[in-house]
Amino acid sequence: MLEVERLCSFYGRAQILHDVGFAIAPGSVAVLLGRNGAGKSTVLKSLIGLVPPRAGRIRFQTADIAGLPPHRIARAGIGYVPEERRVFADLTVAENLETGRHPPRPGLAPWTQARLFALFPALAELRRRPAGRMSGGEQQMLAIARTLMGNPRLVLLDEPGEGLAPLMLRQIEQAVRALRDEGVSLLIAEQGPAFARAVADQVLVMEKGAIVWSGSQAALAADAPARQRYLAP
Amino acid sequence: MHGFFFLQLLTGLATAAQLFLLAAGLTVIFGVTRVVNFAHGSLYMLGAYLGYSLITRAPPTPVGFALGALATAAIVAALGAALEIGLLRRLYRAPDLFQLLATFAVALMAEDLTQRVWGAEDLALPRPGFLAAAVRIGAARFPLYDLVLIGLGPAVYLALLALFRTTRWGVLVRAATADRDMLACLGVDQRWLFTGVFALGAGLAGLGGALGLPDATATLQMGFSSVTDAFVVVVVGGLGSLSGAALASLLIGLLQAFGIALVPRSTLVLVFVVMAVALVLRPHGLLGRVPDETGRAAMPDLIRPATPALRALALAALLAALALPFVAGPFLLSVATEALIALLFAASLHLMMGPGGMASFGHAAWFGLGAYGAALAALALRAPLPLALVMGMLLAGAVAALFGLVVVRLAGVYLAMLTLAFAQIVWAGAMQFGEISGGDNGLLGVWPPRWLGGPVGFYFLALALCVGGALVLRRALQAPFGYALRGARDAPQRAAAIGLDITRLRWAAFTLAGAAAGLAGALFAFAKGSVFPTYLGLGRSVDALLMVLLGGIGTMSGPFVGAVVYTGLYDALLLATDAWRLVLGAAIVAMVLLFPQGIAGAAARRVRA
Amino acid sequence: MTLLAAERLARCFGGVAALRDVSFAVAAGEVVALIGPNGAGKSTCFNLLSGQLRPSAGRIRLDGRDITGLDPASICRRGVGRSFQITATFASMTVRENVQLALLAHHRQIWRFWRPAAAVFRAEAEALLAELGMAAEADRAAAVLAYGDLKRLELAVALAGAPRLLLMDEPTAGMAPGERGALMALIRRLAGERGLGVLFTEHDMDAVFATADRILVLARGVLIAAGRPADIRADAEVQRVYLGVEA
Repeated sequence: MLEVERLCSFYGRAQILHDVGFAIAPGSVAVLLGRNGAGKSTVLKSLIGLVPPRAGRIRFQTADIAGLPPHRIARAGIGYVPEERRVFADLTVAENLETGRHPPRPGLAPWTQARLFALFPALAELRRRPAGRMSGGEQQMLAIARTLMGNPRLVLLDEPGEGLAPLMLRQIEQAVRALRDEGVSLLIAEQGPAFARAVADQVLVMEKGAIVWSGSQAALAADAPARQRYLAP
Repeated sequence: MHGFFFLQLLTGLATAAQLFLLAAGLTVIFGVTRVVNFAHGSLYMLGAYLGYSLITRAPPTPVGFALGALATAAIVAALGAALEIGLLRRLYRAPDLFQLLATFAVALMAEDLTQRVWGAEDLALPRPGFLAAAVRIGAARFPLYDLVLIGLGPAVYLALLALFRTTRWGVLVRAATADRDMLACLGVDQRWLFTGVFALGAGLAGLGGALGLPDATATLQMGFSSVTDAFVVVVVGGLGSLSGAALASLLIGLLQAFGIALVPRSTLVLVFVVMAVALVLRPHGLLGRVPDETGRAAMPDLIRPATPALRALALAALLAALALPFVAGPFLLSVATEALIALLFAASLHLMMGPGGMASFGHAAWFGLGAYGAALAALALRAPLPLALVMGMLLAGAVAALFGLVVVRLAGVYLAMLTLAFAQIVWAGAMQFGEISGGDNGLLGVWPPRWLGGPVGFYFLALALCVGGALVLRRALQAPFGYALRGARDAPQRAAAIGLDITRLRWAAFTLAGAAAGLAGALFAFAKGSVFPTYLGLGRSVDALLMVLLGGIGTMSGPFVGAVVYTGLYDALLLATDAWRLVLGAAIVAMVLLFPQGIAGAAARRVRA
Repeated sequence: MTLLAAERLARCFGGVAALRDVSFAVAAGEVVALIGPNGAGKSTCFNLLSGQLRPSAGRIRLDGRDITGLDPASICRRGVGRSFQITATFASMTVRENVQLALLAHHRQIWRFWRPAAAVFRAEAEALLAELGMAAEADRAAAVLAYGDLKRLELAVALAGAPRLLLMDEPTAGMAPGERGALMALIRRLAGERGLGVLFTEHDMDAVFATADRILVLARGVLIAAGRPADIRADAEVQRVYLGVEA
């Protein structure tokens, strides 16, 4: 589904990513862990094209997408939900969903507003509310739903649990599971292992702009030194 | 009294409707593309001319008129789309100054082409019965057509709102206005969206131009005069806000109507006061948002001391300038005198725009104020030449200091538009207050005294004051003041953290630049023996801008090179062809696309590489 | 001797508390790290100390004198220098001129219009650059420096104001791993030699634990731990915040 090789990205002259490489299998969930500043967001921004990589390859399905503009990458089937959510504050929930809409893809059940409201019941009641007047958790749901309207095969979620109450967190978790069951792949960036424990097929740990550990959720649980080294303060 | 109030209210509403039609397209285009389209007024002008051609060929009925106006809007929309695809698409990532400059060049070319197609005469639409009709209001008669306009303004506003609220295209446009990058991440190709928005904005301008015909004639000057009105409305309303433009149109339209009625000739001052008050209270307009300025400014160039070769070149140029009167004839000498004055004028703008980081599209305001100040001192107060020059300089400097208090905290496009609007207001003031300024006829008989020794003596005076003045400015830029000014431009946050007072630095630079431009203007008054409102005009502001950009903002020698090259080129063009606006416009477009660093800048890069 | 004292600092944004009841002190010559997960309130805390924000409650004292609510320029003049997370140097100037401008500002020599600035404080600027190991770079354009050198230039510009307290927001962000240790060692040395108090935020835990005398840990706007590196490593609450589990 997605293969990343020796990816290097910069902000201006500051190099943020150093030779990042990993792969994601169709229909699986990978979680990127690491302290803040480790480079997780930059990996996602490089994949969607917001921070075009200076070196390296990104292979999505059959095409090399490194260096393409974001709208072409999105149309190829990658959805991106940024950390700040970036919902269009003046637009209503229904209008926000409309901005993400694209034709269905073969082999995936197409997302409609009705199906998304079933996935996130809270949104159905807020259909006509401007997104700027919703809570953080509701905005997070909307941001995910908006991306799904494009029927992506791979969804990039940046810190979906950031700042959310436990109840909201559980709803997002359920949504992630439902997506995986639909055959959508996910790459989720997280600071703490909470999400990883719940849904990850594969865990990638980043530090200082590089992937320093990868393996299964169980293997990370068993590797106390690695957790201490990369995730503890 | 009651009837009077009602009549003025209606007049104000009709003005507001026309202002809104003019400004709506500009604000919509800016909201989505972040391009300030200087050619918007030209599209409005084209609307008027095209509308004239179509409407006079249509049957003289309301339906014929309406169809003509709609067809005009469609054609101008297509032209707008072509402009976006052909030119602006290449400039979205360029600094906003270059977008303004490129669209300005388009405006120049449009004026020339319009004159070629429709001629230089003003065109007035014949008034068949339905256009000449009026309704009785109390004792007065009010044009029926203006009542129709009062209805049309809100109708267009509502139609635009509906377009943006209910269609997928409109939703995407609103989303792009809020966050372009996020929309791209959702798979929306912005190029297509931008072209569409540009066509819409251009179409609105075309419609406005055609609908304005019954109340005004189509003139070649309306391109530049209407873009100023549109800028004021859009800046007051908030760049990119449609409702803001509607509100500002209403405010300004009503103010003009009541202002004219209560205090004749107060409108210019009123408009400026509204603008100043609105921007002091809300620096981003009534309904505007704080703009996102990330990644737009060009990387500043490193400034190095002049190399020995450059010093030698400068010395040689100075010697040549000193020798010139002994070899040149009267025509060449007068061109050279103008080039010297242009040099000081360009150097003053360079101080502000380069090291100061404050773009100005209305630098002629200070030049013209200096010229009027000196001429009035010489004519009305019988001041001798030196005193008249000083008074011209002081007038320009003092007004710049006052205006600077209001505007130096603003940045980028807002500042550029405000300086432009201010210059236009001073220009209109010079036209209006004829008993002081002589109006269109200007002030005549401002000659240097006999003891100066005629054109040769004046040439040496100009050489001393202009080269001297430009060198003083250059010196200030190499002194701690100039470093601090550049520091505030390069990294404002850092500059504040080391304790620099950015606002005061910029204000000082603004005032200094105004005074230096005033001296140039004062000299120009004596060089020409007269002062006309054109000294304050947009054309002169753009001359300065072109000289600075031609020379290169990021160099210290830029204005010297730019002023000489530009004056030479301009005079050569004027002599060689009557299509100078077309050629000049095309040259600017080529320069913007090919040499974003200017001539001296490009040369400096080549030397360094 | 206490240089900086923050007393019960609090800051709300529209009713939401970003920082609550935070108290700590930094002594002269001491290097203190401020860490915490995203959204913990580190930036808010920094902006309160340097005057970019006013606290909703609490006091800030420098050398015992109240500096609460002063603007950034006044706080700078009282001896607080700061560096930014995203480097901000004067790109149209050389390395030496960057430092010269900071010296000119510090000595209030900005409003001079005649004497060329290139000659003013030249020796002082070069001495400062030499101290940071940048003498060879003095004539290069700030815009073309390698990232690590840029960070050192930022430090030189901050030091030109002769600060007694230095606030550094992620001093090593964006640097190659090898350069980070060198920069932190330099900061450590300067603190010792000049008796400079340093407060810094940082994501690189290697840098934090190798450099800091003491560490403050913020989480959700509250100071949850403060102490020596070894104590912080062993602190159960800190482990829980970072790992989401009992360690």
